[in-house]
Amino acid sequence: MIRLRDVNKTYKGNVVALRDMSIDIAKQEFVFVVGPTGSGKSTLIRLLIKEEKPDSGRIWVAGKDIGQLSSWKVPLLRRNIGCVFQDFKLLPSKTAYENVAFALEVIGRPPHVIRQQVPQVLDLVGLTKKRDHFPNEMSGGEQQRVSIARAFVNRPLILLADEPTGNLDPSTSVGIMRLLDRINRTGTTVVMSTHDSSIVDTMRRRVVELDRGVLVRDQARGVYGVNA
Amino acid sequence: MAVNLEYVFRETVSNLKRNVSMASAALLTVAVSLTLVGGALLVKKGVERATVQWRGNVELSIFMKADASQPESEAIDRQLKSMPEVKDYRYVSKPEAFEEFKKIFANEPDVRESLTVEQIPPSYRVVPREAEQTKIVGERFENTAGVFRVSYAKEEVDALVSVTNFLQIMLWGIAAVLLAAASLLILNTIRMAIFARRREVAVMKLVGATNWFIRIPFMLEGLLQGLVGAALAFGVVWIGRDLVQDRVAGARNDIQLFKQFLVTGPDVMTTGFVLLGVGVFVGTIGSALAVRRFLDV
Ligand SMILES: Nc1ncnc2c1ncn2[C@@H]1O[C@H](COP(=O)(O)OP(=O)(O)OP(=O)(O)O)[C@@H](O)[C@H]1O
Ligand SMILES: [Mg+2]
Repeated sequence: MIRLRDVNKTYKGNVVALRDMSIDIAKQEFVFVVGPTGSGKSTLIRLLIKEEKPDSGRIWVAGKDIGQLSSWKVPLLRRNIGCVFQDFKLLPSKTAYENVAFALEVIGRPPHVIRQQVPQVLDLVGLTKKRDHFPNEMSGGEQQRVSIARAFVNRPLILLADEPTGNLDPSTSVGIMRLLDRINRTGTTVVMSTHDSSIVDTMRRRVVELDRGVLVRDQARGVYGVNA
Repeated sequence: MAVNLEYVFRETVSNLKRNVSMASAALLTVAVSLTLVGGALLVKKGVERATVQWRGNVELSIFMKADASQPESEAIDRQLKSMPEVKDYRYVSKPEAFEEFKKIFANEPDVRESLTVEQIPPSYRVVPREAEQTKIVGERFENTAGVFRVSYAKEEVDALVSVTNFLQIMLWGIAAVLLAAASLLILNTIRMAIFARRREVAVMKLVGATNWFIRIPFMLEGLLQGLVGAALAFGVVWIGRDLVQDRVAGARNDIQLFKQFLVTGPDVMTTGFVLLGVGVFVGTIGSALAVRRFLDV
């Protein structure tokens, strides 16, 4: 489903974000990406939705070499990938409901489908009561759940989640993890970056560890730290 | 791709609301420049009509000597009749010519009284079949007995045409400059609107919006600005033409000449549709260009 070969990414000012990264992620897998801050986790996710381009190396997503993708096809790639951004990227002028609906409007879903699906997904993330709140009227955790709802509302093949529990208390985090687990069981490939060791340790899924842009560990049913 | 119309209209309206002042500046500039374009187009139409009439009327006059004899005059009459190049001709007798002369100098009794009927030359007013034949026809009579002088109206017509042509070119120039200004204003309006929302546009792109999805509301906004501006210009041109027409129609003889400039209702309609087309084009293309650079992935 996802394949990277010898991918390098350096930002302006010689900041190495990823170095010679190669990895394969199969369909329906659930992968944790861990590593200290600045190790390149978000960069990996940005490369997968072609928000950034690699300096070298090749990336395949859903069987397609996204380096070869013509620019008008990029939207199609992104529609197959739901992405929960580390900074949420909600639209400040839209309510929770509208933010989620927006992801469907963008891909041209008819209004009756939108009216039916958005409340379902909001219910799934437990935000039915907050549906008419604007982002600045919601807590970080609530915004994060809107972001998850938006990423998932069009049932993508792949769900990328950049620290989706970063702003949540432990019990809400557990709720979100249950949700992601459920989404994964419906056949969606999930890649999630996190600093939350307890989640990684309880879930016992594949763990990929980055350190200064280098893949240092790839472990099935792994834990957060090697010596944990 | 299915475009959700509800979404498009919602976005367009909210964009326009957000910068009313910029939008109206752009709109007014479109209106002013298109009014000039419209004016230039109508003047051009008028000149075309007038030229046809001038050219089609008296193209040359063969003035006889005041003391030319009857046979001399008849010879010229015969020759004109036999020439295939001549479409029509008319003899203006001494009394007729004198009447004309008096009319022209109605306000100058000194001049008027200085001549008598006998001193006024009679003439033949000749209309050639083709404007280009004027010279050929005229030259044939220049050295004929009894002829005083051949005068070509063509030269005067050409002088008039060149003046109006110059006027037209100036109007075109001003209109073009203003139109460019209008396009730039529209471009800027849209660019500001989209700049204010660049984060939003970036998010749209990240959740899989196509460029067209993002572009269409902005293009519709530009289209509306262009269309309303053009409609205003259309109105001004229409009213302006009516005003001029009324003036001319109600005027005394001495500006009869201008009547030949008058343009018809259909002329104004055609011009109006040209204006609407240009307005829509400028607005739509301007905003499409403005959006372009924000759409790079
Ligand atoms: N747009 C950018 N321009 C320049 N440098 C950047 C940019 N984005 C990230 N970096 C740098 O690239 C490196 C990797 O960043 P990245 O965001 O991928 O780390 P991360 O693993 O997600 O960290 P965190 O856990 O804090 O989110 C860091 O050193 C960061 O400073
Ligand atoms: Mg990060």
